[in-house]
Amino acid sequence: MNNLSSDSGKNSGSNKNTPIVDDFFLPDFCNVQMVFSVILIAELLSIILTLAPLDTNGTRWEELGVISLFVQWVALISTGVLCIARAWLKKLNDTLAATASYLVLISTTTIISEITYWTVRWLTVAETARIDWYSDFLWRNLGISAIVSAVALRYFYVQHQWAHNLEAKSQARIQALQSRIRPHFLFNSLNTIASLTRTQPAIAEEAIEDLADLFRGTLADTSYEVSLSDEWELARRYLHIEGLRMSERLRVEWQVNDLPEDALIPQLTLQPLLENAIYHGLEHILGGGTIYINGKLENDLITITIINPVPEYTHPSQRTGNQMAQENIKQRLSAVYGSKGKLIAEQTGNQYQLTIQFPYTQIQVRE
Amino acid sequence: MNILIADDEPLARSRLKRLAEESGDIHVVGEAGDGKETLLLCEKTNPDVILLDIRMPGMNGLETAYHLSHLDNPPAIIFTTAFSEHALAAFDSNAVDYLLKPIRQDRLAQALKKARTVNRAQLIELSKNDDADHTRSHISAQISGNIYLVPIDEIYFFQADQKYVTVRHKQGEVIIDDSLKSLEEEFGDRFIRIHRNALVAKAHLDRLDKAAPGQWSVKIRGVDDKLEVSRRHMTIVRKLLKNTAK
Repeated sequence: MNNLSSDSGKNSGSNKNTPIVDDFFLPDFCNVQMVFSVILIAELLSIILTLAPLDTNGTRWEELGVISLFVQWVALISTGVLCIARAWLKKLNDTLAATASYLVLISTTTIISEITYWTVRWLTVAETARIDWYSDFLWRNLGISAIVSAVALRYFYVQHQWAHNLEAKSQARIQALQSRIRPHFLFNSLNTIASLTRTQPAIAEEAIEDLADLFRGTLADTSYEVSLSDEWELARRYLHIEGLRMSERLRVEWQVNDLPEDALIPQLTLQPLLENAIYHGLEHILGGGTIYINGKLENDLITITIINPVPEYTHPSQRTGNQMAQENIKQRLSAVYGSKGKLIAEQTGNQYQLTIQFPYTQIQVRE
Repeated sequence: MNILIADDEPLARSRLKRLAEESGDIHVVGEAGDGKETLLLCEKTNPDVILLDIRMPGMNGLETAYHLSHLDNPPAIIFTTAFSEHALAAFDSNAVDYLLKPIRQDRLAQALKKARTVNRAQLIELSKNDDADHTRSHISAQISGNIYLVPIDEIYFFQADQKYVTVRHKQGEVIIDDSLKSLEEEFGDRFIRIHRNALVAKAHLDRLDKAAPGQWSVKIRGVDDKLEVSRRHMTIVRKLLKNTAK
């Protein structure tokens, strides 16, 4: 019985959001794919180094072999060290971690260069005259390593920032969407429609059409402005669906005839506020109540007020619920109209009043 | 099997009724639109199972279930909800039955077959999650087998003696078995502790009176007798009265 609805419970309930991108800019070098890319890049670097000199005493193939051997050693050992050190580097801040990784790469180059030098010297004991290539060899390697390491680290950093931003953006978009439509409303509406389909199919059909329009409005880019008449239409569709659900518990009084229909308003400004009026107000009151919607135009300023009853007493923890949609609309109003776009909320006793105000701009009719 | 349907939406009720009756051998004995009505109908019709909507005006489903659990033979409860982000995990972990709206007929039939009662401990756990209202809107007491409800805003004070807590309210007095400590935790923002044995509604607090040298009592609006204020609680009572006077 316990798992009566547990499958759906898991879907909607406890799925935890773990970010895909980890918060550290260095990629995981223990990953096989990563090791493969390192080998590939090291080989490309070797080819560049082979092709670069103007004159060459041996064949290029021979040189490529020697250079590859050296570069691959440096690359793979650095990869190994970073793979092991990553957990530790992660604890540092980005600058320190970058410096430490840089030092790891340079020291690896130095150590391999030393080993190479001493091995070559040991193998070619007779030709002691060649000892003087030591410092040239070491400095050249360090120079190349210093530049390549810096470029690589910078690349990882930028790549990480990019992935991070991408995720932050999509998260913000999801949150914005969720703040605009309440899952409660969606499922309740579907329930209403399910009930109507058999008994009153015509009304069910209407409700589906209204719901479709609402979702189209909700999913649209809300940075647009629409005409006030379109916005009222959306609000009416919303209230129609809620009216079916709440029946006589929801009453609405409109007084908006004074408002010009061709005024511009940021899309989806009114519906979320009406949703708040129902969700935090009317739904909690036994007999329901009336939402009063008033609008007036004065000195080229449009003022719309929404007044709704709220329960006598609400627990302090519940009063914050209104905030998200209100905050979102407030920001959008001030983004479009500057200091002339306002949203004011006030509660007196069990009346909650929201006022939004913005300058009247006429819609541009396209010829 | 007799069932009672509690949901504030008429359309939701009618659909549930149809689904239940189509499941065969199920008789819908009543439909309630809010918590109080549910309690009344439950006493009257004695259902085996209540399909109880969580989000209802006045008294929500969880609170209704809490009051029902005081009955000698409480009915089995299946909660219904359209959406509840945090609650469902709590329901699962406390082995409390629930159905998601729009409800499927096979799920409903399956749930009714195995429906069971919910105890107070489970309900307290459930009410701890984010989207539930944490406090009750009513206090309930059992009087001769029936549930007697007192709205919180009609309560003047709670007073404890050795064993019980007496609730003094507009309509009189009832005795409940909650402890003063748990009441204070639940209603701390509306009631103030004035003595080891008393919690008084802030809204009904009138004034401080000197009872004897060094002894103070409070006058409560709507009640004749005065309650003693202990020295330990004097400061906060005085502060509250000062603030409300402003």
